Amino acid sequence: MTVATPYPDTLTCAPRSGTLYDVIDIILDRGMVIDVFVRVSLVGIEILRVDVRVVIASVDTYLYFAEVCNRIDLEADDRAQSLPNIRGGAKAPHPPVRHRAAKKVKKTAGSGRKKAKKVKDTLTPGHHRHHHHEHHHDDDGGDE
Amino acid sequence: MSALYVYGVVRPGHPLPAGARGVGDPPARLRVVGDGALAAVVSKAPPDLLARRRDLVAHQETLLALAADGPVVPMRFGVVAPDRATLVDRLAASLDTHLRALERLDGRLEMNVKVFPVEAALAGLLRADATLRSLREQARRRPGYETSVRLGEAATDALRRLATTAAAPVLRALGAFAEAVSPGPEVPGCVGNTSFLVPRAAVADFGAEAARRTAEVAARAELRVTGPLPCFSFADTGTAAEAAPAPAGPPPATLAGRS
Repeated sequence: MTVATPYPDTLTCAPRSGTLYDVIDIILDRGMVIDVFVRVSLVGIEILRVDVRVVIASVDTYLYFAEVCNRIDLEADDRAQSLPNIRGGAKAPHPPVRHRAAKKVKKTAGSGRKKAKKVKDTLTPGHHRHHHHEHHHDDDGGDE
Repeated sequence: MSALYVYGVVRPGHPLPAGARGVGDPPARLRVVGDGALAAVVSKAPPDLLARRRDLVAHQETLLALAADGPVVPMRFGVVAPDRATLVDRLAASLDTHLRALERLDGRLEMNVKVFPVEAALAGLLRADATLRSLREQARRRPGYETSVRLGEAATDALRRLATTAAAPVLRALGAFAEAVSPGPEVPGCVGNTSFLVPRAAVADFGAEAARRTAEVAARAELRVTGPLPCFSFADTGTAAEAAPAPAGPPPATLAGRS
């Protein structure tokens, strides 16, 4: 369901029906709270926000970008060596480097977590970001 | 006597959206509770309420539908009143505050802009940044976990800086359409999260400007515009909302105080 507004859809983007990641931060952290009322859902929200998988994913992200850096050929023309090619293009749904990185992270999860905590929020590559998020909610809403 | 899940506060007579479903499984029926001067949109609170995808979506979509028909002060997800009498009591106790908030939000909507780094900018950064190139040399000479993490961290930081710098003038320009600007909560991967309180009449212009500017900086920053939304970020008078124009730099990524 989108807001029935007179504004052209192409200009603005209401949150897509059934999706959360566009504005989940706002729904959980903004809006009015009436002090005397219980927010019974705090435990669930904390689990959703500070999930250890997110923390691991940030070191995973470093390793992924290190790999991308390593594969960039600075001598080559920008256009000839575009990143989609480096990342394995459309053949693999996830770049192979990602899997290697993930395995490595699992092995060293202890030190990785410490490192990631220091940096807190890190960049997650575009399509993976969505992937992680959906995972998240799927797990959380597994009762649907 | 049963607990009530509260979606938002509206003026009396605000229509309930047809077909809207509340939280819980099966979805609870929405209803309006009020004493004549003020009304709250509520449903029966499920006994096991958590931040489930199902319930977050119900909260979001109920408020989206309510906001289409007039001003609404949206509640944060998960607010539950112990019973009807207590809710009516609380509404009456803060009647003036709520009425002022409804007045302030009448005819306004929230637009949210999130800024993300663009991975494709990395080749250009490597060419321009000697430190990054030297880290890459180290990682190639002594491949391993430590050198990789150092290189990846530097690359990530450089991408984030680039996106932040590119987005700053865009956020400033969008602030011109807004009556108020509020930094959003910290979001993983996001280098900027800003909400704008925009008059209905200016929403289309805001969107057009956002689309134009987003395309201009696309090589350096990915801007995601979401809205129009109910005014979540401007619901409380005393919250982080500040007067327009937008801050000179990118908004500080703050974690909102969770109460």
